Amino acid sequence: MANFEQRNTRGNTLADLAIEGKDPQFDAWLAEQLQFDEPYLDDDGFCENVMAKLPAPSQQSERRASRFQYVAVLAASGIVAWQFPFGEVLSEAARQSISLYSLVGVGMLSSLVVMAGGIFAARR
Amino acid sequence: MDLNDEELIRRTVKSGDQRAYAQLVRRYQSQLRFSLRQLCDGDQGLADDMAQEAFIKAYKALPAFRGDAQFSTWLYRIAYNLVMSHKRKNAPEVDQEAVDRAQAEETVEESQRLGMARDLNSAMGALSDAQRQAIHLCMQRGFSHEEAASIMKLPLGTVKSHVNRARAKLQSLLQPWREEVVNG
Repeated sequence: MANFEQRNTRGNTLADLAIEGKDPQFDAWLAEQLQFDEPYLDDDGFCENVMAKLPAPSQQSERRASRFQYVAVLAASGIVAWQFPFGEVLSEAARQSISLYSLVGVGMLSSLVVMAGGIFAARR
Repeated sequence: MDLNDEELIRRTVKSGDQRAYAQLVRRYQSQLRFSLRQLCDGDQGLADDMAQEAFIKAYKALPAFRGDAQFSTWLYRIAYNLVMSHKRKNAPEVDQEAVDRAQAEETVEESQRLGMARDLNSAMGALSDAQRQAIHLCMQRGFSHEEAASIMKLPLGTVKSHVNRARAKLQSLLQPWREEVVNG
């Protein structure tokens, strides 16, 4: 590496090169020193303060998010209903003499639980 | 998982996901606050207020962000505008106590640092405000001359001139250190 005031082959001093912006070694050294000297500033509640002062997300994006959640829940419910062996359950219920009313009640309750779970999961 | 700036911006704007924006704040808070402390002459309280305001303003303007520049460049431009505007409005009302306090704290810290860092700080202090900002943005933050010009709202040639003059001055002031490194 050339000495600081050493002249290069064209007779320019390193200071001349710096003025022209042609001393990449000095640039690299200076950038390294500047970055080495910089401390990392801890968040220290800064991010929370910023987030607390942000305006609420626009209603449009909220509505869009809600629509996605409802579509996801409906899709999940559809898959459950598609896979659920209604025929077998009904025939088993008839064989075991379980009342149709209690069966409908259990079905509705299960659907409510699935939907509530879906909504909860989507909001998370 | 660390998502890139573009994805975080997309989530913030499209889905109103504030947690995505919080990641951006955490990613840039240290660098921006440090830069603004230099711009605010060591007034840490003012610098943090300005950084906070810049993040809030950037959030509000995010739907209009077209991605022509990097998010960091755009954020710095907003922050620099805020500080410059504040300086113009409050020029005679600098909180001298806060500045003195911060400088006193820095002096204690600095006494414990290596001589190189101390001399570098002192050399940076010998630059004009514009030169210091230009060197900080281009050599410490790695912005291009064009980006620095856009942040500082100065013509490209002026920024290049500031950088070159500052570089020459620093080279002259830090010559003994450079020689020490060169000579091993």
